Amino acid sequence: MQREEKQLEASLDALLSQVADLKNSLGSFIYKLENEYDRLTWPSVLDSFALLSGQLNTLNKVLKHEKTPLFRNQVIIPLVLSPDRDEDLMRQTEGRVPVFSHEVVPDHLRTKPDPEVEEQEKQLTTDAARIGADVAQKQIQSLNKMCSNLLEKISKEERESESGGLRPNKQTFNPADTNALVAAVAFGKGLSNWRPSGSSGPGQPGQPGTGTILAGASGLQQVQMAGAPSQQQSILSGVQMAQAGQPGKMPSGIKTNIKSASMHPYQRSEVRLYHSLVSPMPSSYWLPE
Amino acid sequence: MEAPPVTMMPVTGGTINMMEYLLQGSVLDHSLESLIHRLRGLCDNMEPETFLDHEMVFLLKGQQASPFVLRARRSMDRAGAPWHLRYLGQPEVGDKNRHALVRNCVDIATSENLTDFLMEMGFRMDHEFVAKGHLFRKGIMKIMVYKIFRILVPGSTDSTEALSLSYLVELSVVAPAGQDMVSDDMRNFAEQLKPLVHLEKIDPKRLM
Repeated sequence: MQREEKQLEASLDALLSQVADLKNSLGSFIYKLENEYDRLTWPSVLDSFALLSGQLNTLNKVLKHEKTPLFRNQVIIPLVLSPDRDEDLMRQTEGRVPVFSHEVVPDHLRTKPDPEVEEQEKQLTTDAARIGADVAQKQIQSLNKMCSNLLEKISKEERESESGGLRPNKQTFNPADTNALVAAVAFGKGLSNWRPSGSSGPGQPGQPGTGTILAGASGLQQVQMAGAPSQQQSILSGVQMAQAGQPGKMPSGIKTNIKSASMHPYQRSEVRLYHSLVSPMPSSYWLPE
Repeated sequence: MEAPPVTMMPVTGGTINMMEYLLQGSVLDHSLESLIHRLRGLCDNMEPETFLDHEMVFLLKGQQASPFVLRARRSMDRAGAPWHLRYLGQPEVGDKNRHALVRNCVDIATSENLTDFLMEMGFRMDHEFVAKGHLFRKGIMKIMVYKIFRILVPGSTDSTEALSLSYLVELSVVAPAGQDMVSDDMRNFAEQLKPLVHLEKIDPKRLM
């Protein structure tokens, strides 16, 4: 019981904050429309609408959340009505409801719609029940078909006018640019890099080096090959020892390194650190040119 | 060597495998302002945050054909911020219903001698770029709008030139593996940016 109360309270708080946000953005939109109407642009109005739609979305999500109890099961009953000003109520409603009296309560706590609206709704439900299930189904299908036809016409018109350049609104994004940027971030296409991967970067002189030993690495080049192997051999040949455990994957040129490394003071256990950080070490880096 | 798909690996303890869910798009320079306004309205209320980062991508060529890629990123406008080292795996081939690109992601903060360490380990720098733009947040979603600058003189970040007339827009979430609800939330958010920016999952292999 207490858990449900806590849930109710939490969901009410969430609902309250969402509604407050919505009210604020509605208020700012109204202000914008009333005071800045001569300077208002359509994109700005669209922004406000998008904001409102986003907030309504989150409101819906909060209501649909599995932790919110069914508000339908809760009832609000006014316990005390008085014609005196209530300061607490004033504060909570930001000055909009000063008195909790019998003229205020029916408006604020009502759950039934207006009598005219109720009449209309009742009439609509009886009409709907009258026509029968299969007729209703046929009507639904024809409505769906008409909607999809209309959508198709609109999208075709949009596409045609776009290609004709009749759109008054400017394009806000360029798909070719999207692809170029994604390629640049993903693998450096178009940035000045060392490998000629068909990018528009300046042409690099080819330096195959010993990279060609690696199968399938034809597009890749080695950088700074000179000097690197001899210096790093003493440090990294210890890693070679750990790699010697991998059968059948070593090119023949590496065996000479392994013979010299077997007398190396580095033990296998000290080298595990490198392995845990990075997967197989490149064997080609220690090959003498 | 790339790790096998994370969702296939048995759970044997250790750290949680984090996946990055990603949607990308772009916006032309003249529409940037409207996008920023809309994002400021939609995202969490915080001071608009700009960033200027220098990213270097390091490759380790193994015996297999595909090299191991690590990305090192440093902030150029925040002094004292740690360097950021990131590993991104291959995109998971999931069902078509998944709306975002999903790949394994490991993020590590490091000290400033990261490049020396990587060079000693045998990595070589493949390419670098400067990213300058804005950062927004909504819950666990991170939205980055940034421009990529090509570095003309390797090693010096002063001489840069913009790569294109657009800003790249990325919507990303880093979450533990297996939470596909995240991609639905991302798609709903992307819908709200719709006419301005078209965020979609772009497979980098298609652009090779």
